[in-house]
Amino acid sequence: MSIYRHARIVLAAIFALVPGTTFLVAHHSFAMFDTANPITISGTVTAFEWTNPHVYIEVDVAEGQAMKHWAIELGSPSILMRGGWKFNTIKKGDKITAVVSPLRNGDAGSLLNRVTLADGRVLGNGGPAGIGPGTPPPTSAPPR
Amino acid sequence: MSTPSRIVGCIGGVVLSAIAIATPAAAQSQARPSLTGVWAPFGAARGADPAVAPPPAGPVVLKPAYAKDYLAQRAADAEATKRGEPPASASVVCVPYGMPRMMAVASYPIEILETSGQFTIIAEAFSEVRRVFMGQSQLPIDEVPPGYYGHSVGRWDGETLVIDTIGIKESVPGYQNIPHSDQMRITERLRLVTPDVLHDQITIDDPLVLEKPVVYTLAYRRMRDYKMVEFVCDNNREYVDEKGRVRMRLDGGGR
Repeated sequence: MSIYRHARIVLAAIFALVPGTTFLVAHHSFAMFDTANPITISGTVTAFEWTNPHVYIEVDVAEGQAMKHWAIELGSPSILMRGGWKFNTIKKGDKITAVVSPLRNGDAGSLLNRVTLADGRVLGNGGPAGIGPGTPPPTSAPPR
Repeated sequence: MSTPSRIVGCIGGVVLSAIAIATPAAAQSQARPSLTGVWAPFGAARGADPAVAPPPAGPVVLKPAYAKDYLAQRAADAEATKRGEPPASASVVCVPYGMPRMMAVASYPIEILETSGQFTIIAEAFSEVRRVFMGQSQLPIDEVPPGYYGHSVGRWDGETLVIDTIGIKESVPGYQNIPHSDQMRITERLRLVTPDVLHDQITIDDPLVLEKPVVYTLAYRRMRDYKMVEFVCDNNREYVDEKGRVRMRLDGGGR
């Protein structure tokens, strides 16, 4: 195979775009999270940070006699609002149970899949992509 | 074997049809649609009606001098991502996207505002703002200080808003992260496909980097009654470590 032909194939593979999706860019890759192996953590919220580029939940999780502190990353306020979240959906002291994708490096940081609030409501990590208000919130996290 | 004189992508065959027919000035004025409003990007994989989905993107054909490094970087980035060590990018550290990438950041909407002699386009992500000056001639490129949004002039071609942009700083990552020179020119053709679906056909021309212009189309859905949300990047826990990998800081400082 000539170099010329090889180059054609390589470029073809790279630029075989799915219309309208590959053009979209995101703040950062989520490859640092182990999305294939989510875990469930339950604990007491120590902070709820309604900030950009991401919202965070800080939570203390009991592990036997010890307490482990987790940071949970969510989408941004804009994305979350389209999924039914508000700036005060969670408050310090709330008891929550969250399904999260932990950091691959073992640190106690994670990406939210879904959370069960103290009142039993279940919220995902944002709203359906590209769809405006009025769409029911998802029952699970949207695809990344 | 010698290096090929040029590298040609083989995805093609897509011919984007002309999207506007010139009409007399009076008729144009009446026919001009209002683009003012909030628009959320969507594509074929995001639940779009195929009838209003954007057409497939055209090929990217880099000049050989740029193709080799670009392909090597793409491969290295893909390998790092596979290892769970995503490579750094400007947006990771909250540097704005600039043109043309600001026009489609995840599912964040853009707001288009038409005022006398000007269109203003605001991207919700990173609160980026660009201004399009209507009815003006484009400046010579050496009179435009390189920046994230450059200098944009617009005109109506029937019902299509045509925007010409030059002056994008070379360090601003391009479409698909392809490199570009200070000679890059971005031509956009915005038109309503339906009253609530907007297409922005983007043509990137760069005679120093590209063998031929790159053409792709973004699609947007109107978000009626949506109020744009502020986006101030004041709690960025992602950072780039000494090896160039993206990491997550665990302490947010109680913001």
